Amino acid sequence: MPMPVGKMHSFKSLENIKNSYIERIHQVSDERKKGKKSVGTFCLFVPDEIIFAAGADRMILCGGKNDTVSIAEQYLPRNICPLVKSSFGSIVNDGCSGIKSCSHFSMVDMIVAENTCDSKKKMYELLDNYVPTYVIDLPQRPDTPEAMRYFLSELEKFRDAMEQLTGNKVTDERLKEEIRSSNETRKLLHKLYELRKRDPSPISGIEVLKILQKQYFLSPDKLKEYLRELINEVESTEPEQVHKPRIMISGCPMPGGNTKVPAIIESKGGAIVAEESCTGTRSFWDMVDENKDHMLALAERYIKIPCSCMSPNERRIDNILELAREFKVDGVVYYTLQFCHGYNIEKYKVQQALKKAGIPMLSIETDYSDSDVEQIGLRVDAFLEMIS
Amino acid sequence: MISVGIDAGSATTKAVLVKDDSSIVHSIHPTAFDFVSAAEKAYEDVLRVAGIERKDVDSVYSTGYGRNNINFANKAISEITAHAMGVYHFYSEVKGIIDIGGQDCKVIAVNDGKVTDFLMNDKCAAGTGKFLEYTARALEVPIEELGNLALASESPAGITSMCTVFAESEVISLRAKGFSKEDIAAGLVESIARRVAVMARQVGLKENVAFVGGVAKNTGIKAALEKELGISLHMVPEPQITGALGAALYGNS
Ligand code: SF4
Ligand code: SF4
Repeated sequence: MPMPVGKMHSFKSLENIKNSYIERIHQVSDERKKGKKSVGTFCLFVPDEIIFAAGADRMILCGGKNDTVSIAEQYLPRNICPLVKSSFGSIVNDGCSGIKSCSHFSMVDMIVAENTCDSKKKMYELLDNYVPTYVIDLPQRPDTPEAMRYFLSELEKFRDAMEQLTGNKVTDERLKEEIRSSNETRKLLHKLYELRKRDPSPISGIEVLKILQKQYFLSPDKLKEYLRELINEVESTEPEQVHKPRIMISGCPMPGGNTKVPAIIESKGGAIVAEESCTGTRSFWDMVDENKDHMLALAERYIKIPCSCMSPNERRIDNILELAREFKVDGVVYYTLQFCHGYNIEKYKVQQALKKAGIPMLSIETDYSDSDVEQIGLRVDAFLEMIS
Repeated sequence: MISVGIDAGSATTKAVLVKDDSSIVHSIHPTAFDFVSAAEKAYEDVLRVAGIERKDVDSVYSTGYGRNNINFANKAISEITAHAMGVYHFYSEVKGIIDIGGQDCKVIAVNDGKVTDFLMNDKCAAGTGKFLEYTARALEVPIEELGNLALASESPAGITSMCTVFAESEVISLRAKGFSKEDIAAGLVESIARRVAVMARQVGLKENVAFVGGVAKNTGIKAALEKELGISLHMVPEPQITGALGAALYGNS
């Protein structure tokens, strides 16, 4: 018999999010008819603020579905990360010919890409044949003044490209508003995560992931509305008092369509209380300074994102340790996608640091298929038994 | 206190009955794709041999691949946790376990019977019984003889691939080049030992390491692994039942 799994409640606001996909598709399609431009993004390093200040809309195009991986394999090598393959497959397949919840992939006027990992970088070159693709270059040694200057100049070029696409000027006033708006979203996410510090956490990891996967898909207003509703509901919920081992996930992003590993962890009786990931803390942890030159403030905030494509990346290790302590985790599940070299190699450093801090870690390297669900289940069982 | 542990493996189902920490009865049945009836049979067996009735059993814990299918069990635990406790019962100084089975390979660090760290091979057959099965077939020798054949070699052939499929074709090309079966067998055995030793070192196994699982019976592999790790490996008396025994002991505590 599996461990007792408490299904406490279901949050109404999360039910509403289920229907948000269609709503959003209609919204963007109406806007586009009226001449508004929409761009597709893949990464946290692309500042939302600049896109919105230029009067465009944006939707994230990171793929989490397994169905489109094989389509991509007609063009791309098999041994690259499934996120890249799934995304590429969804886009070249033009709205995934009928695969549900996929139509947004064909609804962008431009892709805003970034030079992060090798797989994405080279994929973007191919993608440009299907959708005009603008690439923001990133200095990958982030801690020098030269890197800052260069990144700032790249963001300025990006701002100009957005102005050209939309025909609107990115004014200081508009940037200021958008920075304030994005900071507000970040504060709401902090508030939600604050609630998860309670023991037991009043909300499951799968539930939080559902909203985080839509963070860069929904319009900022809609997202904030959902977050406020959810926070209100969670605040007034009495969690059932079963102690479950508190787990933090750390590693690769989990785009919409991919919930395999957190679903296994929570069905086995673990409680995910934090995610050090791009569908987690990396997306909202740091604020943009509102009392500074706006472009500079954006550059400073975004260059600090602790992604494994940066070197050195000690701030990620420090951040993981800090989160593990703040959220009082019993163990860390280090989650990587197959062939994601950055996060896979960085695992060693994370493991050493966690070992030193006395925090157990389980490493899971996987893809989007279901072929290893049993094997992962066994490891998760053993890990939870080990830490409880 | 009477407790039973059931290890529902994909090939065989094992039951162990433990009474007041001492007398142990066990039974092994082929699983034959039916976890539940194999578990029933094994359970009935140990009850009969021990002369105990179902109603007098205080707890039944299941483990193994089919652990969640055993509906009469009070609780399911992972085979990693169960094996650690089972091996500890036979060998109380145990600090590490290397378990090479047909499908997977596990390396477990243990303290007082409790798991402190572990590693399992990923989606891949490298370093498992499957690797031996396929390559032994390419060599046209029964898998049980691979180890002894290897012991007879003076200069092992170099097998460079960890991948089962590539290693299989490597064996074929080595044979075509005229290498003896002994030397190729020794190369294969060294290759699997290297792979497993890497995992053992990652988990930090140094001493008091037990070797269990189906492949543990293979003397050639044991010798190669001992050479690779520079330690001698401890064998437990009933390696097949340590999972079920560990489950029973957990139910007992
Ligand atoms: S992991 Fe790195 S490259 Fe991928 S979305 Fe996050 S920040 Fe961007
Ligand atoms: S998961 Fe890794 S390999 Fe895949 S896109 Fe992100 S950084 Fe690149």
